[in-house]
Amino acid sequence: MSLQRFIVKRALSIIPIMFGVSVITFGMFHLTPGDPVSQLVALNPDVSAAEEAALRERWGLDGPVWQQYLDWISNVLVGDFGQELRTGREVSDIVWRRLPETIALGLFGWAFALVIAIPAGIYAAVNKGKLGDTVSRFLALSGISIPNFWLGLMLILIFSLYLGVFPVLAPSEPLYHPDMLWYLILPGITIGTASAASIMRVMRTSMTEELNKEYVTAARAKGLPERTVILKHVLRNSLISVVTLAATLTASIVAGSVVVEVVFNWPGLGREFINAINQREINVVMAITLFTGFFVILANFVADIVYAALDPRIRYD
Amino acid sequence: MPTRHNNPDSNQTINRRNVIVTIGSAGAAGLAGCSGQSDDSDGSDGSDSEGMFPLDVRLETNADNDDRVQLLELIAESMEQTDYFNATIETFEWNTYVGRVLDPEYQENGYIPCIGLSGTFNPGSFCNALHYSENVGACCNLNGINDPELDEMIDAARYGPEVAADNELRGERYDEVWNYLAEERYSSITHFGLETAVTSTDIHGYSVYPFNEGVMSYAMYAPQDEQVMWIDRENAATEGDDDLADLVEGGALAGGLGANIESFDPPHSSDTTSTMAQNFIFEGLTTSDRQGNVYPWLAESYELLDATEVSESDYADYMSTVGTTEEGAIDTDEQVIIQHPEDNPAEDDEVRVLLSGDAVEAAEDGTYGMHYRYDLREGVQFHNGDELTASDVVATYEYAENSQLAPQTFDSVLAVVEEDEYTVDIYAQIADAEAERLLPSLLILNENQIAEVEKGSLDPREGNEPVGTGPYEFSEFEDEQYFEVTKFDDYWVENVGVSEAFDWFDGSSEFPDGPVIDSFELEIVPDNSTRSAALQEGEIDLTYGLNTGTLDDFDSSEDFILYSTEAGGYTYIQYPVNVEPFDDRRVRQAINHLVPRQQIVDNVLNGFASPAWTDIPSLARGSGTADYEELEDEVRPTNEFDPERAVELLEEVAAEN
Repeated sequence: MSLQRFIVKRALSIIPIMFGVSVITFGMFHLTPGDPVSQLVALNPDVSAAEEAALRERWGLDGPVWQQYLDWISNVLVGDFGQELRTGREVSDIVWRRLPETIALGLFGWAFALVIAIPAGIYAAVNKGKLGDTVSRFLALSGISIPNFWLGLMLILIFSLYLGVFPVLAPSEPLYHPDMLWYLILPGITIGTASAASIMRVMRTSMTEELNKEYVTAARAKGLPERTVILKHVLRNSLISVVTLAATLTASIVAGSVVVEVVFNWPGLGREFINAINQREINVVMAITLFTGFFVILANFVADIVYAALDPRIRYD
Repeated sequence: MPTRHNNPDSNQTINRRNVIVTIGSAGAAGLAGCSGQSDDSDGSDGSDSEGMFPLDVRLETNADNDDRVQLLELIAESMEQTDYFNATIETFEWNTYVGRVLDPEYQENGYIPCIGLSGTFNPGSFCNALHYSENVGACCNLNGINDPELDEMIDAARYGPEVAADNELRGERYDEVWNYLAEERYSSITHFGLETAVTSTDIHGYSVYPFNEGVMSYAMYAPQDEQVMWIDRENAATEGDDDLADLVEGGALAGGLGANIESFDPPHSSDTTSTMAQNFIFEGLTTSDRQGNVYPWLAESYELLDATEVSESDYADYMSTVGTTEEGAIDTDEQVIIQHPEDNPAEDDEVRVLLSGDAVEAAEDGTYGMHYRYDLREGVQFHNGDELTASDVVATYEYAENSQLAPQTFDSVLAVVEEDEYTVDIYAQIADAEAERLLPSLLILNENQIAEVEKGSLDPREGNEPVGTGPYEFSEFEDEQYFEVTKFDDYWVENVGVSEAFDWFDGSSEFPDGPVIDSFELEIVPDNSTRSAALQEGEIDLTYGLNTGTLDDFDSSEDFILYSTEAGGYTYIQYPVNVEPFDDRRVRQAINHLVPRQQIVDNVLNGFASPAWTDIPSLARGSGTADYEELEDEVRPTNEFDPERAVELLEEVAAEN
């Protein structure tokens, strides 16, 4: 199968997946108790039953779930994600406004993960069984095990409160301002740590495997310097599995942003998502879920393509 | 005979070490009779309650509130220790819990729910929601208390021309309510919450308002209590140091907000953070002090012209007949002012309602409960240069129709009518002692601005910067990030001077003619620990709503001052009065004596609450009692932790069976 056909086929498969995601999320959301109206008026003795019913009707929450879903999906298909119920603001505006913040944070985390993990993985593989390897494996295991909200709080405690290197609150500046980039370091580390740890472990394993292969012995026998052997031959081959992993990890970075954005007071999609769930703002929740789902599928898609570029032996069928 | 109920949708049972359900040796087989509909009696009829004790009792609350779960554990423990009860605690996710306890059939289960409410300056907010019969199935008469005598007493303390004109009489009537409740003990209020705020020592003269929404605006300038705060970064403040001679003008204050500002559109938002932000920009016709006393503000003066004995059905002549929807909503786009008390939109296809347009007609014809006249000040400038006139006030009330604040507003407001350019009449639906506070409760908007914006979109996110008459004008807002206001140069109080502006002002001549801080930047930081860290780092000077654990640290630090005041929030448990043996008031009194109020405050709430020795907190005492000390002398003994008395009462009940 040619690459073009592969791309078309995969692109088409996004449609049923997204449809499934929307049905499941919509259904699960309606299984949770409470809706925006009950959130708003539950303990307000002034609101009468008739006023509550009028509000449900105005916000389209009065029909059966399947009907609400059909209303929603038919609007989405023409590009209308609806409004935030309480404020009447366009959901797509909300998502677009929050998106750059989350992308900036995600890129920072992702870059941090790669920059730390790849050299560490190489180092551990080359020094397999030595102290440095043990230490880096220990750190990797810790990185995977530490919950990121805790890591975030500890980083704030150490670097902001004790050492005073970073401010606690993001500066009131636009995203591209140098102060903002400086501020992004701690949340970036928090969000990237778990991924860095996973990548490092995979890097180490695949590198160790490659190092045992015959072409490595041949290259060494040819008299190539060790540095060239490792960085030019072994690294390229071991990167294949890392690329796949790095792409799938974008999903965990997006998911991690939910917690990290709350701890670091970062006004991104994750924080918006938490608020929307608490307020039972279904349109916002659906839009962010769909968006995230689409993003994850896309990342995997890109991984498959890059995979082929790195390893011409891979065929699509 | 029915045995104990097992509710299938319970999701988590907490059996604490000392709250384990023990099946008593003898006589444990006969459990609480849950006949459901037994009439309220003195309990002498013990025909089917033989061997009632030890009684299985279930206490319920929402799982996410640790304080509530812990206080129930204390109550359960002291109940167990009498050997008269086997107490269990059941917890639920918040939404599940609310849906559960607001179900009108919940009362038949025989459980004791625990929930929190926020009261206001209205003393009724501490008895009405819990006990009034109309609030069964609504907020928050959870266990179906239906006591016509009590309903009448509660009404008599608020409605009617007599109490509306006589605050002393009103206090006496409320005293009757509190005494009656002390005897009947349908519910036990455990404690009143505190409103707390922490400032750095750069902030001087701060004091905390009993309600969240005033935590910033009240402190910055409130001549009614001679309250003003200022920033002096050279000299460290100490609590209570508010010597006006040391006042420093100017400076920029950074505060921490605990949530995003959802909306700058006053009637189209009801969350406290939004109100907090709006209070910098907008002002009302009146203002109130920490005791809830009302003072004229944008109105130079106001008076009650007339109060009449009128009931909701007296408006029938002006009502229109409107259809209802299947879901029980009233099918109209107009604001419903009064719904005919005999019609029920959930059952009837058509209902009689008084719509906003017809309400004006009724008021002008002389059908109204009260008639207040507000004389506006001349020369009050909006931030856009317009002068405040009566038509701004009328437009504001129209703009509030069908808004989020409409249920509160049109619970009392009948009609708002422009009398002349600087005079506006506000009519109340019925003679109501709360009307003085409720009628002028909206923040006044600029007529020209709201004529142009769609309802609900008076917000910078929609391209509309809010315009008010307040001391600060909108400067900048970044959604979810920060909000900034700067001093308005043409602020009317400053222009005329405080003692000139307010004839009720009797404070010091040094008191400034307006707030003295140049600008406020409010950082939006929902996470409590992050906000607390930002305060520690000096990135903000002032915040509120921190976790009680953190408050202790700030309290003991020399660089910060912790302020607190008794607020309107309260927590209560309510007895299933329609289920045996709780229909016997002695059982309820006994359990009330087993509520360790002091211990709850000291151990569960770390001292950040005050025990509910009576049913009203200090902020509601202005009109909620004729003589608070006398009331406390009478009522407090019935609310003391007293296991011996509890056992006596329970022995009496047991002996009769």
